[in-house]
Amino acid sequence: MQRAAAPRRSPPRPMRKLTQGNEAVFRGAVAAGASYYAGYPISPSTEILNVASGWAAQHPEFRFLQAEDEIASANAIIGASLAGAKSFTATSGPGFSLMQEAVGYAQKVGVPCVFVNVQRVGPATGMPTMPGQGDIMQVRYGSTGDYSPLAFYPNGVEEAFRVTVQAFNAAEESLSPVVVLSDTFVAHLNEVVDLEEAASGVEIAPRTLVPLGQHEIGKPRFFAGVLMYEHGPNAGEPATADADEYVRQYYAAKHRHAEVAKRYALYEHGWNVDAKVLIVCYGIVSRVASPLAPDYALFRPIRIHPLLADELAAIADRYDQIVCIEANDGQYADMVELTLRREVKRVPLLGGRISLEAVRDGLGRVLGGGPSEPPIPPAPSEAVERSPLGIG
Amino acid sequence: MPELAFAELGFKRRVKVDLFPTIWCPGCGIGTIMIQLAMVLDEMGLDETNTIIVTGIGCTGRMGSYLQHESVYTLHGRTLPVAEAIRAVRPEMHVVVVSGDGDTASIGGNHLIHAIRRNAPLTVLCNNNEIYGLTGGQTGPTTPMGTKTLSSPAGNPNTPINLQGLVRSSPHALYAKTTVYHQLHMRNVIREAIEHPGFAFVDITSQCIENNGRRIGFASANEMLTFYRKTYRRAPKDAAQLAQFEIGVLYPDGHGSNGSAAAAPAEATPTPEAEAPAVKARPVVDDEEKARRRAESQKRLALMQQLDPEVKLRVARGELTLGDALREAGIDPDAAG
Repeated sequence: MQRAAAPRRSPPRPMRKLTQGNEAVFRGAVAAGASYYAGYPISPSTEILNVASGWAAQHPEFRFLQAEDEIASANAIIGASLAGAKSFTATSGPGFSLMQEAVGYAQKVGVPCVFVNVQRVGPATGMPTMPGQGDIMQVRYGSTGDYSPLAFYPNGVEEAFRVTVQAFNAAEESLSPVVVLSDTFVAHLNEVVDLEEAASGVEIAPRTLVPLGQHEIGKPRFFAGVLMYEHGPNAGEPATADADEYVRQYYAAKHRHAEVAKRYALYEHGWNVDAKVLIVCYGIVSRVASPLAPDYALFRPIRIHPLLADELAAIADRYDQIVCIEANDGQYADMVELTLRREVKRVPLLGGRISLEAVRDGLGRVLGGGPSEPPIPPAPSEAVERSPLGIG
Repeated sequence: MPELAFAELGFKRRVKVDLFPTIWCPGCGIGTIMIQLAMVLDEMGLDETNTIIVTGIGCTGRMGSYLQHESVYTLHGRTLPVAEAIRAVRPEMHVVVVSGDGDTASIGGNHLIHAIRRNAPLTVLCNNNEIYGLTGGQTGPTTPMGTKTLSSPAGNPNTPINLQGLVRSSPHALYAKTTVYHQLHMRNVIREAIEHPGFAFVDITSQCIENNGRRIGFASANEMLTFYRKTYRRAPKDAAQLAQFEIGVLYPDGHGSNGSAAAAPAEATPTPEAEAPAVKARPVVDDEEKARRRAESQKRLALMQQLDPEVKLRVARGELTLGDALREAGIDPDAAG
């Protein structure tokens, strides 16, 4: 018996493509509705700038500015956001230092925008461009004055995409600049992912800030870095000597940010959850340390700031010891120790040496009662091989 | 100055007069710049829906809070990147940057260079008072050599920055120089700057009596204005460059009006369109058009003068159109004269 040929329905073809971490960040920004990018080339973030310029050439509604420096980039994305575009910039630690004043301005004025910081080894020009995680505290306290930033740190390509979308959403909801942290390895990681599929499910927060010129007629706004009265009979006048007004505005922003942060309590608690030792690590370190899975539990914060205090406290209670492994000298560990009020051991992976061997060495040392500081190797008496990276 | 009477009434729509008195010292020149800017905005029909003011830090930066416009009071020196981004996102908007010489040329100097290079479509008004006024009177980038200031008690050892040369390093930028004394001239050049489709820079010499003038031998703001009146001269119409005490406008290469391509510096070869695709040709305002505008403005003035002072004020505030006011008063607009 012959059967009529049924129409062949091929299953939906996955668009799995080899994608780089930096590109995923850019694609995430676009998926979140970003239409303005300003940046200045700096390794290891430069691919984001390159991809953005190419995208802008094909999509005239997407504006791109290669600025004269990071100060201009940061201020340009503030201007773009005020004018009505979801905007972002990408840089590395040295560039992020230059952007700090603008970060503070965006915090003060309440400008939603996204800063991507692809970390390398600092301070200063440091070791371009070995991977580092030394900007955890710069993100928290880099600008002048008090503020409460939100920051996220993915550890893979697809997560970089999703976290970037969430960062844009959190920026809109909190009316503040949100930081996406990355590092040389996450940025240059190539993984096979289906971003089309990832993009299909994302929720996108609408614009919250009324764009310039679309205000209530007769009540033009004055976006100022100085303290101004926002409401009441003095609205629009400077409040530069009024502590009460400062306190009102400061706590309004702090509470707003905390409220939004609750919606993004992103972390991973895994590996061997029944182990005795909890390893706290994030970003690329969590990938490098993954062979430790059978013997240790993992707490990996994705939301770095504000600290996941409640979540961490509940989880940490189940473990005898906590070890923070990070590519800096204990920046996250300090926050954890202060919050949990118990000893946190530290394994600093410095100078870009983020390897399983370094992780194992450090763990063995600190769990054996040794110091967090690694043994300092003596200076070589003979010439060592020249750095293949030069001086960047 | 026949247009003044009418224009004086119009500017109040663009200024938050209820916030007066301003924070500026008595005798300061910034208020004059603000009023002239407000007059131009009013004349051109630019209002809070289509014009954004971006200001920097310093005395001049406060202007944004007094104008009836959406305004961004940026970080010190960062007006241009903010303004450029606003204009990129909202090309239908006019963006006017108002900033002091320190903000524009010192801390913001790098942005100035590159905004000029990119021919950012912005109007920049630089309140050039040759001093850091808000901090008490320190040497600024435009302080003349030899001037004694708080930070150079033996006299400024350096030559001031050459703003004209900087702006004119781009073949597409418009540079205008004026002073707070020459108010009508200032108004005209501000208007030309706003009409210019590319980067336009208005360098406005202005007096800071409190923190500069009184230390260098002027007894009052009036003396400083008198000094401007006596020393500054209009540059010849086809000038290719403005001398130290000349006021005028230097148009970009290939511009058709006075100061035309023929008057451009000989070494600057006219840029063919192909090499400068980003720049639209500036709308040519020839002498005939200028005469027509002047006649129209004088006719309005004559009509306004026939109205009661109270009605005149209502017209100026925008509560009443001139046509309606004339109809109410029974004046035939075409019979005026």
